[in-house]
Amino acid sequence: MVEGPSVLRLTTPPADVNDVHDFVIAELNRHPDLNAMDRMVFVTALIELATNVIQHADTGAGVTCTLSLRVGHDRIEAQLSDTAEDGGIKLVARGMPADEMAESGRGIALIQALVDELRYERVGDRNLWSIAKSTTHPGSPDVSVVF
Amino acid sequence: MKFETSPIGDSVLAVRGVGRLNMVSAAALRETVADALTTGRTRIVIDLSGIEFVDSSGLGALIGCLKSARQAGGDLRIAQPTAQVAMVLRLSNLDRVLKSYGSTEEAYGG
Repeated sequence: MVEGPSVLRLTTPPADVNDVHDFVIAELNRHPDLNAMDRMVFVTALIELATNVIQHADTGAGVTCTLSLRVGHDRIEAQLSDTAEDGGIKLVARGMPADEMAESGRGIALIQALVDELRYERVGDRNLWSIAKSTTHPGSPDVSVVF
Repeated sequence: MKFETSPIGDSVLAVRGVGRLNMVSAAALRETVADALTTGRTRIVIDLSGIEFVDSSGLGALIGCLKSARQAGGDLRIAQPTAQVAMVLRLSNLDRVLKSYGSTEEAYGG
């Protein structure tokens, strides 16, 4: 049976990225066959994305986000939409900051290093972010073994 | 998250927290390290064994604390990163800047 996506709606403040994190962990725990590495990689990318949205979309009045998460047989997908203004965001492939002592600027590059797809589009009055990652077939070992 | 500190020898201070090092808790780490530096303990080691998760906000705090420690004449090192933290450090190339040690005592050769 293919399940529909799980959805979380939250407004920051008072909600924060820990609420997103708790939701994602609870949802992924419903899929015990999910490979531990896939889980760790996807959670890292999704929290990075949520942090990015909360930090950059918040102009002082808070931001309302809707997170939709779907765990398929061989793929995990998430969509995050927010009510922020159109920031004129242009998503291009990014590397890590040239200054290795920089204290910011790693978020998008990290997401791109972690997942197979990262997309951004402006839909009506919302920003819509999507990430997707192929997952290892259930039952496969967490670490590949080379003989 | 609350960060706890414990002295090692005369000049090293170990800092430990349990939970997620993210945009919510990053400020507490910065404050804890800033307070430690004012007491003259400028050789900081962050015990990451209880940090189950770090994101780029947490990385920013670690780098900020490293810069503060060096400006105060000391240094900042990390010990015992968990699997997720080690992965994020590696992907962000910060494993070259923040070298990991097996324990807080080892970080400064103790």
